Amino acid sequence: MNKRLPASASNDIILSLKVLAREKEVVRRKLAVTAAKLAVTAKKLAATAKEKESVRRKLAVTAREKESVRRKLVIVAKKLKNSYETLEQKVLRRTKDLEMSRAKEEAILLSIGDGLLVTDEKGNITIINKRAEKLLGVESKDVVGKVFSDAMLLVDEKGKPIPPEKHPARIALMGNATTVTGPVYYDMRKDKTKFPMAIMATPVLLDGKVIGTIKIFRDITDEREIDKAKTEFVSLASHQLRTPLSAVNWYAEMLLAGDAGELNEKQKKYLDEVYRSNQRMVELVNALLDVSSLELGTFVSEPKSTDICKLAQDVIDEQKPQIAAKKLSFSFLCKKRTVRMCVDPKQLRMVMQNILSNAVKYTPEGGKIVLSISFADKKSILLKISDTGYGIPKHQQDKIFTKLFRADNVRDKDTDGTGLGLYIVKSIVENSGGKVWFKSLGEGENKGTVFYVTLPLDGVKKSIKNK
Amino acid sequence: MKTQKTILVVEDEKILRDAVVDILRLKNFLPLEARNGNEGVEVALKKHPDLILLDLIMPAMNGVAALKKIREDAWGKKVPIIILTNMSATKEESVDDMATNKSTQYLIKSDWKLHDIVKKIEEILEGQDIL
Repeated sequence: MNKRLPASASNDIILSLKVLAREKEVVRRKLAVTAAKLAVTAKKLAATAKEKESVRRKLAVTAREKESVRRKLVIVAKKLKNSYETLEQKVLRRTKDLEMSRAKEEAILLSIGDGLLVTDEKGNITIINKRAEKLLGVESKDVVGKVFSDAMLLVDEKGKPIPPEKHPARIALMGNATTVTGPVYYDMRKDKTKFPMAIMATPVLLDGKVIGTIKIFRDITDEREIDKAKTEFVSLASHQLRTPLSAVNWYAEMLLAGDAGELNEKQKKYLDEVYRSNQRMVELVNALLDVSSLELGTFVSEPKSTDICKLAQDVIDEQKPQIAAKKLSFSFLCKKRTVRMCVDPKQLRMVMQNILSNAVKYTPEGGKIVLSISFADKKSILLKISDTGYGIPKHQQDKIFTKLFRADNVRDKDTDGTGLGLYIVKSIVENSGGKVWFKSLGEGENKGTVFYVTLPLDGVKKSIKNK
Repeated sequence: MKTQKTILVVEDEKILRDAVVDILRLKNFLPLEARNGNEGVEVALKKHPDLILLDLIMPAMNGVAALKKIREDAWGKKVPIIILTNMSATKEESVDDMATNKSTQYLIKSDWKLHDIVKKIEEILEGQDIL
């Protein structure tokens, strides 16, 4: 300070200084307050910063997690994409396979050599194969969706239409038959030509419900021709074979009867041999013809209501001369006076004739034969023919119904026979739905045999064409 | 005395026809002969025999056709006709024909003795005489 300054000036300065000092103090205090506030703020900021740091850290973790999830998602997405592609490929492949197998199945159906017609439950055609198109003279596009009778007009032999309710497909649709095989029907084509057909209609069942039908049919013109040829063969063969036999028969008969003058004993004896040998030949031809008819299936069965007991009596009457000649005791028992049943009398007569004539032929003089007719059960009758004859050797019993077989013991005994009788019997009986069997009486031979035949009462099955 | 009955024998096999004709003569019938269905119909319609023995398998019109032809005729409707054949009656059609055309009998030659055939003829003719 400047020592030359007056005293008043120095007081002013001191005052000013004091003021300044006070102001400084105020400022200092304010600063202190501000500093304190700042400190608080700083603390707060520090806390916030801490929180922020923590949040940041958390965020960082989340970001990492997110990244990891993202990566995982990418992998999953990749995998998904892959599996989607594989799936798509698989579906494609399967679809292709399915289409192939469906096409194959359809091709198989369409290529079946017989006519095939599939309908829905209303009888409308859903599938028709190529053979059916050809046979019926229609085209698939014209008939699919239409009722089957539009495509297939069934008529009988004379051209009369088969009523719808008798149509095999209609019967199959009723669902009460597994397979309906009709008799021979003809299909009338649009051009009015017709052909004989064998038809088989089967209901298509799904969960026990009929959802349609399948009809398989074929042209049987050829089979019918063959059938006709077979029948003609049997007729013609019988005619040709029997004509010379008839001539020998008739001339020998006239000679033996003395129609051409008396013969001496020796001539008579020789001629009798000729006659009897010829008779055997006639029998053999007749039996052979019966066998061929049976085997060729041309044996016409004509079932009609027949009095079985009366028929049996007729057969017995025919055998009476032989029965008397051998002094056989014969009895006939028929449970009811008349037993009528639906059979072909000619065929049943053959059955009885063969078994009875065997009994007579193969029973020694003074033997006993019993023929009885009774009911086997409610549904069939039983014919029982027992004899006290030579019997059938045990070791040959399984061959007795074989064609042309004759047992050793009867061959030894100089009896004549064709070996066809029992074969014919078995064929006829089995065709009729019956049974034939036998029982040897006692041990060993010479004790006799019992033959049994059962036949169903409800009539025989219609003749067996084309077995 | 009974008048001699005429019997027409329609048979293509000479050997068989001769046998039948011989026995008929012997049994005092008057036999007429025809060698096939055509001749058979012709002789039948011209001579009106009392009975006809008719074979089935013959050339120039078979027996079934001849039977139909004869039955078409007013006289032929009633004449007794015996089918005397060696053909087994296995053909459904011919059996049907026999039934519709009313043959009186169907005899298989090789199964029948000549004397029995004659007896059959006599039976049928006697039955007719009663009527």
